[in-house]
Amino acid sequence: MSSFSRSAQQWATFARSWFLIDARMQPPGKIATMCAIRLQGKHKPIYHAMSDCGDHIVVMNTKQIAFSGNKWEQKVYSSHSGYPGGFKQLTAAQLHHKDPKAIVKLSVYGMLPRNLHRHTMMQRLHIFPDDELPDDILANLTEELPQPREIPKQLSEFTQEEIDAFPRLWTPPEYYKMK
Amino acid sequence: MVFLSLSCWIRSRGPDRYWKVQDIVKNAKHFRGRKNRCYKLAVKAVRRAFVYATKGRRLKKRNMRTLWISRIAAASREHGMKYPVLMHNLTKTSVQLNRRVISDLAITEPRSFLSLAKVARARQQEGFRAALGDGKEPVGVFSRVVLLQ
Repeated sequence: MSSFSRSAQQWATFARSWFLIDARMQPPGKIATMCAIRLQGKHKPIYHAMSDCGDHIVVMNTKQIAFSGNKWEQKVYSSHSGYPGGFKQLTAAQLHHKDPKAIVKLSVYGMLPRNLHRHTMMQRLHIFPDDELPDDILANLTEELPQPREIPKQLSEFTQEEIDAFPRLWTPPEYYKMK
Repeated sequence: MVFLSLSCWIRSRGPDRYWKVQDIVKNAKHFRGRKNRCYKLAVKAVRRAFVYATKGRRLKKRNMRTLWISRIAAASREHGMKYPVLMHNLTKTSVQLNRRVISDLAITEPRSFLSLAKVARARQQEGFRAALGDGKEPVGVFSRVVLLQ
């Protein structure tokens, strides 16, 4: 790349990339931090707030997002319509049912700096609840980012041989009733 | 008739008013409205501008340092390291490059920055070995502090 001309080198340095993140079984907060860093351009050594060096991020499978703990029931998203009596509170589960894109969108919106670039950066964030991406976005993608959380293997995914090979920790007595 | 005292009646009230006014108004030429022309308004605006410039000179040093730090952090994360780890290990190996130079290296000399990251990583591993090991192994190459005289 050092053999490029100066203008070509600069064009390549400041080019905008398109990143893909699969949010299947991932905590939305961790997805949102990765998105926010790359939307601002803070992952580049040429970062400057005025340089408009952010990249595009495509998040897919947001329908299968996984909150840890009891957040689906306990986390409350509040909003006010501006009219009296317009205070609305929705749990994360209700909001996700109503709009599967909203949780990731609100998390990223809250993690971006509170300045006039925020809306431009949100326009560069593309969220899809499913696997299907439109063709023009598929054509632009350059890199897929690794998932922040390792998806633990479900019991149904283990083969019978692996289950048998697992060491027995204790033998239950005869009167013990297993679920 | 000869007027012997006429010259005493002519008073010169300061021959350089024009230049004193220009000294101040020339600093306001890029302002908006009448304060780029009229002395009374320009004086207040220019004083305010100078106060902001003084405060800005101190803020510039802080802002530049935070910019260098965020750039170094971004570049070190590209190489799988975090900023505090990198800087701490570089100071432990007595690499006395300041943040301005390291951020410029990260932008224009990526391979030199990679070598700095490798030095820091090696020193970090030596630190782990010294802390977790027996103490009978010799300290590594990067842990030997060289005292230059």
